[in-house]
Amino acid sequence: MIQKILVVDDSLVSRKIIKSCIPADRGYEIHEAVNGLEGVAKYKEIDPDVTLMDLTMPVMDGMQALEEIKAFDERAVVVVCTADVQMKTISRVMSRGALMVVKKPITRNAINDALYRAEQTITGHNRP
Amino acid sequence: MSLMMDQIFNMINMGIVIFDRDLRVHSWNRWLEVQSGIPERYIKGASLVKIFPRLNTPKFMRSCKSIFALGNSCFFAQKRHNYLFPCPAPLSVQANFEFMQQNCTMGPLRDEKQRIAYGYITVEDVSELVAYEQRLIEANMLDGLTGVRNRKYLEQQLQAEFARHKRYRRPLSLIMMDIDFFKKINDTHGHQGGDLVLRRVAAELASMVRDTDTYARYGGEEFCCLLPETGADSAAILAERFRRRVEGMEIEYQGAEIRVTMSFGLAGAGGEIADREALLRRADEALYEAKRTGRNRLVMAEPQLRLVKSG
Amino acid sequence: MTSFLYEEITAEETDILQEVMNIAFGKASADLAEVIDIYVVLNIPEISVMKATDIPCCLAREISRFDKISIVHQNYWGKFKGTAILVFPAKAGRELATLLDNGPDEGGELLDPAEMERDTLTEVGNILIGACVGKVAELLDDVITFSPPRILVDEESRQVVPAETFDARHSAILLKTLFTFEERDAGGFLFLLPNSTSFGWLKKALHTFMEQYL
Repeated sequence: MIQKILVVDDSLVSRKIIKSCIPADRGYEIHEAVNGLEGVAKYKEIDPDVTLMDLTMPVMDGMQALEEIKAFDERAVVVVCTADVQMKTISRVMSRGALMVVKKPITRNAINDALYRAEQTITGHNRP
Repeated sequence: MSLMMDQIFNMINMGIVIFDRDLRVHSWNRWLEVQSGIPERYIKGASLVKIFPRLNTPKFMRSCKSIFALGNSCFFAQKRHNYLFPCPAPLSVQANFEFMQQNCTMGPLRDEKQRIAYGYITVEDVSELVAYEQRLIEANMLDGLTGVRNRKYLEQQLQAEFARHKRYRRPLSLIMMDIDFFKKINDTHGHQGGDLVLRRVAAELASMVRDTDTYARYGGEEFCCLLPETGADSAAILAERFRRRVEGMEIEYQGAEIRVTMSFGLAGAGGEIADREALLRRADEALYEAKRTGRNRLVMAEPQLRLVKSG
Repeated sequence: MTSFLYEEITAEETDILQEVMNIAFGKASADLAEVIDIYVVLNIPEISVMKATDIPCCLAREISRFDKISIVHQNYWGKFKGTAILVFPAKAGRELATLLDNGPDEGGELLDPAEMERDTLTEVGNILIGACVGKVAELLDDVITFSPPRILVDEESRQVVPAETFDARHSAILLKTLFTFEERDAGGFLFLLPNSTSFGWLKKALHTFMEQYL
């Protein structure tokens, strides 16, 4: 069951967009971070169920933040949101343990699918 | 409006071809039918690159890819491509070209849902424009390949300067020069490498002369330099500077470094050299002697053939 | 009392434009990798809003970090209209010459290395500008036509700002991004100068873009 979602993106507009695509009626608790460094710190602090991560951010980018989060918690569920969907990027992201990549511009459907996939994974994790 | 657009499509004085993502022809307008001799019904549905194999180049294919994937436009200028679709050249320029010269533009066409469904290529006949430009070049007395003066211009100048020399007894010299072993350069690097060498050498040496001097391309790999107000000894100094400059040039072509030398023959007007044909002839003989005695050197005519400086 | 006729771009609109540019350039990078088979990194674009009359010297200042540059310059029209300027440092042409596979020369015009560089820069420039501007237009629901690219190679960086009449009453936006080709040591800057006459439409389009999410 997803309760806490962490959104990591340096663009205020982008965070707004992502938040608006997350269904409002499921009682999700949404937290935000403005770069990779803050994202990793917040992750450790609040232990979200799903993290939505942008790639291009200052201070620490999404790729590195993904690595650090996974190093900290190998079962972390991280969905990468990016406009840069080159094969190289996708394979780099996936090989660092991201659950999936969502293309920008984000749509409600895409976020829904991602949350559904995340849900499945978490339930899978929790199976005895 | 559609009725009017249909008419415009076929009345417009330029070619328009519309093709799908597989490069199959969707429409081929009247202009293209008339110019190419290919009726639309024959080419409709056929693949552009099969009908015109000349189009099957990396750049063309890449351009098609980009208009469908990125929605941008691509340009095929006559200067680079000459033409995309082979059509007979208009009568007025058949002396200049076998085929019509074309500027073409390629771009995307979208459907109602804004998706790029087709591409178009517009074809503009620029044959007359290009022929005019070529005539201008000739009229300007420039050599098309190297951009220096051409033989016609040199001969005009020689006539004028020799007349002045005779009238006012002013010194006048002529240096004839050519690139050593040029045939070998062509054989080793292809004629494009050879042409590059000609352009570079010509540009380099032409930059070393004064405005009143004439630096011209006289023949294939032969150049000459007409120096008014200059006696043979001063001309020899310049010729030696030429020789050294060429010897030191490194011309990069396709990863190789081409080095060349030139041979020089020089003659000064006066004495036995009493008319312009003699000036040319004696300079030419001196050049021949330079070649004969080892190349990469200057030989002066008058009083006898005299070796000045060797490489 | 002077009346201000210009349309101002607000801070909020600048933020939205920033996000639109991020998305557009990310997608453009991906498409470029697919079309020209090369990994291009288009950095986060910087947006500067300034008085129109400040544009020439701002551009000149940006360009002056290189001594010699090559420029590809293209105009685009749609409701979103303006000028795109791609600036490469002089040696880029040589580096990029091998970027595009061109096969054996088809015997058209004679090509010496300098001409080949021009050709490559022009083609790469055309594709890059087309991809970036095209994607921005797509996100804002507009359709763009492009002028043929013009190129200046190895110029002294001083006198190359396009001669446009800048009306002091207008504010102007300069969009700048750094691009690098990963597999070649080459890169440069892309500047987009939206024409101030399209600001009215741009503001609306940016809000429409956000509306789909609110």
